[in-house]
Amino acid sequence: MDQNSVVLKMFLPKIPSAELVAIQALDQMANYFGIPSETMGEAKIMVTEAVINALEHSGDGNRQVRVEFKMSKEKLIIFVRDYGTGFNTASIQVPDIKDKLHSRNKRGWGMKLMKNMADDFIVESKPTGTKITLTKNLI
Amino acid sequence: MTLTSTLKDGCLIITTDGYLNNTGGELIAEECYKFLDDGVNKIVIDLLLTKVVNSIGISILIEILERLINAEGKMIFINLDPAIDKTFAIMGLSQFAGKAGSLEEALGAF
Repeated sequence: MDQNSVVLKMFLPKIPSAELVAIQALDQMANYFGIPSETMGEAKIMVTEAVINALEHSGDGNRQVRVEFKMSKEKLIIFVRDYGTGFNTASIQVPDIKDKLHSRNKRGWGMKLMKNMADDFIVESKPTGTKITLTKNLI
Repeated sequence: MTLTSTLKDGCLIITTDGYLNNTGGELIAEECYKFLDDGVNKIVIDLLLTKVVNSIGISILIEILERLINAEGKMIFINLDPAIDKTFAIMGLSQFAGKAGSLEEALGAF
């Protein structure tokens, strides 16, 4: 990350559609760098999924999610951290639509979307919370 | 999210406006099921004014697809944002729903 990068940190409360705040912030940063909105499409999907996962799965004791963006013209790094109780990362199941079409639970796509859209994807989870790090090359 | 719907040539055309999240997905589902119950099994969803989606909203589209497949019907999306197009591809929707470049093209594909 060069000297011309910008860092934005925020704490999102556990309220409906809080992820939209993060997406709008990302739009503003992209605007600052002159990066077209279309280029940011996948990044916004990743942020949406990461924040929703954190808000939904971190448990009732976790009232906020920390989101951080480090952005330059070339690269975006996204950190999303919750302060919940963590989970077993080995237990993540990869969904398949053929199975979903015949099951009651059609959900569970967040991790797959993030993994497929990111240029790098790291998930770390402990009893004190979960952190997701996503990297997206912008050029 | 809000939506408008119209029936043309026996096909339900839904135009969404806004964030396709769980609430948005449920709105689409409610509208589709109304018409499915009346025997309409061709659906076009126009996402021109929807630039933000989440996987929960799209999961509800999978529910609609399941009912549509059981009714030997078809769903086609038009005006897909490239990132939403890729999202659908990753989730596998593209295997069961079509996409078209325009409403005319979509109606011609049924």
